[in-house]
Amino acid sequence: MGKQYIGEFEELILLLIVMLEEEAYGLAIRKALKEHADRTVTIGAVHGTVNRLEKKGFIESTLGGATESRGGRRKRIFTITASGKKALHRSRDVKVNLWNLIPDLAINKL
Amino acid sequence: MKHHKKIPPKLADRFLSWFCKGELLEEIQGDLHEYYEELVDKPKWKRNLLYWFHVLNFLRPFAIKKSRSYNSDHSAMLRHNFVISIRKLKRNKTYTAINVFGLTVGIACVIVIFILVRYHLSFDTFHTNSERIYRVITELHQEDINYVRGVPSPLGEAIRSDFTFAEEVAMVTFLNDRLISIPSFEGEKKFKETIVFAEPAFFNILNFPLVRGNKNTILKEPNTAIVTERIAKKYFGEEEPIGQTIQIDNKLNLIITGILKDLPINTDRQQEIYIPYSGIKDHSPWLDHKAWWFSVNQFRQCFVLPKSDVSLVEIDEALSAISEKYYDERNSKIFQFKLQHLSDIHFNPDLGGYIERKNLWALAFIGFFMIITSCVNFINLATAQALGRSREIGVKKVLGGLRGQLFWQFITETTLISALAIGLAVGLAYFALPFVNQLFDTRLGIDLLRDTYLLTFLSMLLFVVIFFSGSYPGLMLAGFKPVRALKSNLTQKHIGGFSLRRGLIIVQFAISQLLLIGAIVIANQMRYTQQADMGFEKEAVIMLPLHGDKTSKKSILHTRFSRIAGVEQVTFCDAAPASEFTPNTNIRVDSRAEDENFSIHYRTGDQNYVPLFGLQIVEGRNLHPSDTIREYLINEATVKRLGIISNQDAIGKKIFINGKKGTIVGVVKDFHFRSFHETIDPLCITTWSDTYVNCAVKINLTNLKSTLEALEKNWNEVYPDQIYEYDFLDERIARFYEQDNIMLWLIQVFAAIAIVIGCLGLYGLVSFMIAHKTKEVGVRKVLGASIKSILWIFGKEFTRLLIIAFIVAAPFGWWVMNSWLENFAYRIEIGTNTFAIALVVTFLVAIVTVGYHAIKAALANPTQCLRNE
Repeated sequence: MGKQYIGEFEELILLLIVMLEEEAYGLAIRKALKEHADRTVTIGAVHGTVNRLEKKGFIESTLGGATESRGGRRKRIFTITASGKKALHRSRDVKVNLWNLIPDLAINKL
Repeated sequence: MKHHKKIPPKLADRFLSWFCKGELLEEIQGDLHEYYEELVDKPKWKRNLLYWFHVLNFLRPFAIKKSRSYNSDHSAMLRHNFVISIRKLKRNKTYTAINVFGLTVGIACVIVIFILVRYHLSFDTFHTNSERIYRVITELHQEDINYVRGVPSPLGEAIRSDFTFAEEVAMVTFLNDRLISIPSFEGEKKFKETIVFAEPAFFNILNFPLVRGNKNTILKEPNTAIVTERIAKKYFGEEEPIGQTIQIDNKLNLIITGILKDLPINTDRQQEIYIPYSGIKDHSPWLDHKAWWFSVNQFRQCFVLPKSDVSLVEIDEALSAISEKYYDERNSKIFQFKLQHLSDIHFNPDLGGYIERKNLWALAFIGFFMIITSCVNFINLATAQALGRSREIGVKKVLGGLRGQLFWQFITETTLISALAIGLAVGLAYFALPFVNQLFDTRLGIDLLRDTYLLTFLSMLLFVVIFFSGSYPGLMLAGFKPVRALKSNLTQKHIGGFSLRRGLIIVQFAISQLLLIGAIVIANQMRYTQQADMGFEKEAVIMLPLHGDKTSKKSILHTRFSRIAGVEQVTFCDAAPASEFTPNTNIRVDSRAEDENFSIHYRTGDQNYVPLFGLQIVEGRNLHPSDTIREYLINEATVKRLGIISNQDAIGKKIFINGKKGTIVGVVKDFHFRSFHETIDPLCITTWSDTYVNCAVKINLTNLKSTLEALEKNWNEVYPDQIYEYDFLDERIARFYEQDNIMLWLIQVFAAIAIVIGCLGLYGLVSFMIAHKTKEVGVRKVLGASIKSILWIFGKEFTRLLIIAFIVAAPFGWWVMNSWLENFAYRIEIGTNTFAIALVVTFLVAIVTVGYHAIKAALANPTQCLRNE
C-alpha cells in the first residue's frame, strides 16, 4: 500500500477528527484547527483534505444531523478507520524513533 | 433568532451549485451557510466578500463537477457520431456538395488573400537591423509639398562628416535598363538590367549576404562589380563567374569580384548588379556633381543606419541643420530632409511604394466577407436540413440523448465538411496561385509542411468556421422538444429564427452587392482613364528607347525611319507626353528677382514633338529645330501659375528653367502628362538633344506588320550593339493604372465568387422552403390560384430581402468607392446607374436561382402533393 504515508496537514486533520469524535465535520475541523494549531485555512482546503483522506481510506463518513443555521442541510461526520489509526501510529513512531536517535546535545544546540 | 437570519449572496450559491459536484454540494453548502452565520457581527459587504472568497476557493479539482457523460465509452460515441455524419452526408449528396463547394471556394479565396497580404507585410523585414534602417528622403516645400525618394549627391558625405548619429551611411544610385554585354563572349550576348552604384556601407545596412568574394573589399576597388548567383548563371552558365568582365552600355568594363546570394522575393531592392559608387563618374558624369545640392533625383538615394542609442528627434534636428548649413535662407525652407523607415518603403504611395496598406486592408476585408458568406451559406443550408432530421433527433432524445451529445454530433458533421472543404481549398489555392503570381508578378507558393504561419492560420480558420457555422444549427437541433419532433409537425416556426436566416440572406446579398458596386465603379473609372481625351494623340504611336547618345546616329535613324512606307512622323524626346517619371525643377522669370514658388515639370523633344503627338498650340508657334535649350513652350497651367493674365502676354518672355535661359514661344493647351491620379501642373517643353532617350514613331496602322519589321531592321543596322525594344504608347499609358487594374480584376473575381456562394445558399433555402410549402401550393391551386400568384409567394419573399440588402449596401458602397475615387484627380461621378446595375444583376441572379424550383412547384399537379395525408 503506497498510500500509507500522510502529510503534515493530513496528520493534523486526522488527529482533530479523532479528537472531535461525533462533531467531526468540515467547519468544526476548521475551527478546531484554528483553536489548537493556530492555523487559519479556507473551508475549501479542509474539504479538499478530508476528501483526499477518505479516498485514501483513512476516514469514513456518514451524513449526520441538520441544524437550522445550515438551512436544513446535513453535516458529513467523519470517523477514523483502522488504517487511519495505523497511519497515525506509524507517523508518530517514526518521529519518536528519530527524536530518540538524536543526542540531547544536538537538540540543545539547535 | 429567525428574524435576523442573514441570507448569503444568492449568486455565489448559484455559482457553487453550478460547478460543484452534486454529492458534495449539500455538506459544502451547509458548512458555508453555517460559516456565514458566524460572521454575523461583521459588516455586510465584508461578510459577502468573505463568503465569495470561500466559494471561489472551492474551485478545486475534487469539488468540480465532471462533465456529465453517462457513457463511459467515448471512442464508441465518437465513432457513432462519425458514422452517422458520413451516412447523412452521403444520403444528402446535393446538400453536401453545395456546402463543401461553397466553403471550399470561400476558404480558397481567404487562403490566397492571406498569402498575398502576408507576402506584402513581410517586405524587407528580414534585415538584421530592419527596426532601425531608414532612407533619407527629400520634401520640397513650395506651394505644395513634393516628395522625392532621392537626395542631392553631397548629402551622404555631409551626414558622415558633420554628424555622428549614423552608424552607417550609404549613397546608392539606381540606373534602370542598362545594356550589359560580355566582351569575352563570341557573338551576341546582350542583356538589359538595372545597375546600382553603391557605397560599401550599403551591405552593412541591408543584409544581402555574399556567397563568394571578400566582404571587406567589395564595392571598394574601382571597375569591379558584384552580381547575384542568378545573374552569374544567366550570363556565364556553368563557367567560373569571378574574374569575368562585363560591359555596361558599351563603355564601362567591370570585373566580377563577388557573388551575392540570390535576393529574397520579399524585398524592394531587386537590383542584381552592384558597382562601386565611384563608377558613376565614369559612367554618367552628370550624375556626380560633388557640390550639386539643388538636384534631387529619385534614382539617387541615401540609406542610413542610426546608432541604436540615438533618438529620432536628434536625427530630425541634424537633418534640418543640414538644410540650414548648405542652402540659403529661402532654399533651406524648400529642401527638407526626412527619414523614411524601411517598413514604410513598400507601402508609401508618395514615395514610389508598391502597394498601399489600405489596399491590403481592403483585401483582408474582402477575405473576411468571403468567410462570412460561406459560413452563412452553411448555416442556412444546415438549419433548412434540420427539419428533415427531426425524427432522428426525437428518437435520440427519447432514448436519453443529451443536448450536449446531439450538439457534438452536429459539430462532428460540421467538422467533417469543414475539414474536407479546407483540404480542397488548399488544393484550389495551390492551382490558383500561378495566376495570382502572374497578376502580381510575384513568386508565391504554398508550402504546407514548412509554413507554420499558414498552418496556424488554417487551423484557426478551421476552428472559426466549425464553430461559427456549426454551433447555431447544432444548438438549434439539440434544443428540439422530443414530443414535437416525433410528431413530425415541426414547421419553420419551430426550427427557430427563420428571420435569422432571412437576416443571413440579407447579409449575403449585401456583400455581393457591395462587391458588385465596387467592381462597377472601378471598371468605369478604368474605362474613363483609357478612353478619356488626355489632350494628345496616343494611338498608333510606337515608343523606342534609345541608349546611344550620339546625335549623329539619331539623325541617321531619323532619315531611315522616315523612308519606311508606314511611318508618318518621327520625333526624338525624353518621354512621351504622358509618362510616369517627369522631372521637375525651379523656374524664374527673367524680369523677376526670385524663383517662382512652384516647380515646373519639363519634357524635351525636337520640333516634331508637338505635331506628332497632336498637342494643340493655343498661342504662339512651335519650337524651332535646335540641339540646345533656346525656346520654351509652356502649358496653360504655367501661365496661370506665373500670374500672367493672357496667353498672349506670355509670348516672348524670357525664363530660366533649371537655370537655363530661353524664350517662351508658345503656349500649349493643358494635357495630362501624368496619370489621372495627378492634377495638371505647370509644364514646359523644350529642345535638348542630349536628353533624348526615346524615339517616338507615328505609324499607319494598315500595314502594321511590315512597318514593325522595317523598323526593327533599320534599327539593328544603325545600332548593332543595342537591344531592339518597342512598345505602343497607349499600352505604356495603360500601365500607369496597373495597380488599379489588379484591384479591378481581384474585386471582379471576388464579386463573382460571392455571388455564386450566395446563390448556393439561396438555392438551398428555396428548395427547403418549397419542400415545406408543397401542400400549401396544392391547396391554393385546388382553390384556383394562378401560377403567377403562386410564383409571387416565393418571389416577394426574396425581392424583399434583396431590397433590404440593397438599402444596406448602397450607402456603404457609395462611401467606400467615393474614398477610392479620391485617389484620382480626374474621376467619374458615381451615377445611379452603378447602383441600378448592382441591384438588377443580383436580382436576375436571384430569379434564376429561385426560379427553377419555384416554377417546378407551381406547375406540379396538386393531386400529387395532396394525395398523402
